[in-house]
Amino acid sequence: MKAIGLASAIAVMAGVAQAEGTLALYNWGDYINPEVLTKFTEETGIAVTLDTYSSNEEMLAKIQAGATGYDIVFPSVHMNDIMIKLGLLEKTGINTAPDFKNIDPAFIRAKEDPNSEYCLPYAWGTVGIFYNEDITGPITGWADFFAIPEKSGAKITLLDDMREVLAIGHIMNGTSVNSIDPAEVQAAADYVLYHKAAVNAFTYEVPPMLASGDIAAGHFFVGGNVFFTDTPNIKYIIPSEGGTMYQENICVLASAPNKENAKKFLEFYLKPEIAALNVAQQFNGTPNIPANDLTPDFIKSNPNINVGADTMARLQIFEDIGAALKLYDRAWNTIRTAQ
Amino acid sequence: MAVKRQSVVLGVLLAPVTLFLGVFFLLPLCIIALFSLLTPGLYGGVEWSFYHWNYGRIFGWADGINEIFEPIYLQILWRSLSFAALTVVLTLILCYPVAFWVSRLNDRWRLVFLFLITLPFFCSLIVRLYAWLLILKPTGLLNTILLWTGLISEPLEILYTPAAVVLGMVYVMIPFMFLPLYAAVDNLDRAQVEASMDLGANRIQTFLKVILPQTLPGILGGAVIVFIPSVGNFVVPDVLGGAKGLMIGNLVEQQFLSSRNWPFGSALSMIIMGVVLTVLMVSVTRARKVSGHA
Repeated sequence: MKAIGLASAIAVMAGVAQAEGTLALYNWGDYINPEVLTKFTEETGIAVTLDTYSSNEEMLAKIQAGATGYDIVFPSVHMNDIMIKLGLLEKTGINTAPDFKNIDPAFIRAKEDPNSEYCLPYAWGTVGIFYNEDITGPITGWADFFAIPEKSGAKITLLDDMREVLAIGHIMNGTSVNSIDPAEVQAAADYVLYHKAAVNAFTYEVPPMLASGDIAAGHFFVGGNVFFTDTPNIKYIIPSEGGTMYQENICVLASAPNKENAKKFLEFYLKPEIAALNVAQQFNGTPNIPANDLTPDFIKSNPNINVGADTMARLQIFEDIGAALKLYDRAWNTIRTAQ
Repeated sequence: MAVKRQSVVLGVLLAPVTLFLGVFFLLPLCIIALFSLLTPGLYGGVEWSFYHWNYGRIFGWADGINEIFEPIYLQILWRSLSFAALTVVLTLILCYPVAFWVSRLNDRWRLVFLFLITLPFFCSLIVRLYAWLLILKPTGLLNTILLWTGLISEPLEILYTPAAVVLGMVYVMIPFMFLPLYAAVDNLDRAQVEASMDLGANRIQTFLKVILPQTLPGILGGAVIVFIPSVGNFVVPDVLGGAKGLMIGNLVEQQFLSSRNWPFGSALSMIIMGVVLTVLMVSVTRARKVSGHA
């Protein structure tokens, strides 16, 4: 997918004269529909390049280390806050664009940017459980999930992500996923440790392993649904006990060489049909209210993708926890070392 | 005059490599050494104040406020060293006999075999490890074949176990062990072997007194080249081990990325380097002793 994205970006570049200049995106892998970039180039004549990263920290480390040449990044909300604190982002005034009225104010989440003067809310999604119902039977949440190996002898996996894994412990203990209380973090780690023997691996390989029958269930992002549109036995749920959600914003770097083109991209992405085009391929949510009416039916009608207010209330989002990150680092090392 | 000119020429010839190593090896090394003694920045990076707790956290002089001592880091180091040592032993056992066999092949087949040994370098490590994932998984190639032949009735649990990590490491490291071993075996003075047999030494005596000492530099060379990258490898434990058994390489990677603690990652790197240097020095001294003896 990453390769396809890059190839299409290169194709886009090749097809267009360089006259209108360029725009360099630095985004998560598989996190934008290549057609969105093609449309942008068709409309504006601006050639787009796309590089990808696999974690907020990887992106931050590169930008902090002085990587230049990128115009736009897609940090999660808590990383958006950190990057503003570090002076890495540029004010765009996107909140004054005429189409900004399309954005649901509930998604203006960055504490450092309460009026969206810097960044544009991009997309959001949930992290839940994919499972093969033929093997596991119906399941509703984390308790059922961890019981699968004992019940059916089948395998389950968790994400290889420190905060996502510890969040499960917090959710089951009824504490905040952003807790900075050492005792609560310890208790969350204890919950995960108690179930570690049942976990086959910490991995992102969930869609292929689930499709081939090597695992029966896995902790994964809602975007994984793109692989399972034709397999009714493989389902996605947001756990009844609660889950996490993520949201990324589109931000312009203070070091961006093409700031004007970057602002054009933010304005372009405010159009409902463009946001909807992205959702149709990405299976995640959009903060663009009119775009939600334009998404395909199979997305609109799935309550685990197009999430209602009652489900939304069960979701928690990660915040920057500053120095308390060390508590999580210790807990995660313990989990991964325990035999 | 001639001597002086020679040293000038030598200086000119050595300048590029010295400059290269100075900029791309020595300088980063100094930065890591310096960072390991600084305060971690809240969002990655460092703050410029002296901070020895990074080492305290590992070795035991933490104050409980800045850092907490946890024996877990020494355990992780120990496990990484054991896996690396095991990788050395297994690659040696696999490669030593093959090196003799290859050295006896005729020129054409020998070239073919040496080419085959280096063939994996043409393909990215990550791609090759994902191929192993496809082979080892429960519905993978290996289990399908074994089930089909009736040798097993239940799929073997290999993927995401320590055994898969060792297998992956051995696979990755075989060329690094084979090439120095082959060089040593190929240079073996066969006249000495024949003389030893003619003068009444049996096969075991000949091996221990003639063949082993002559090939020992190759064994030590291969061992060092395999051991060093094995200690810090973090890709194999992630892909084939399912990220369940934390290795020191994973820990370093994690400190620079998700945990945003560059100084602690630097301190861990310095410790890996210390261990590796010790191993290197011990083996160089041993090799010198042995070759001096022979």
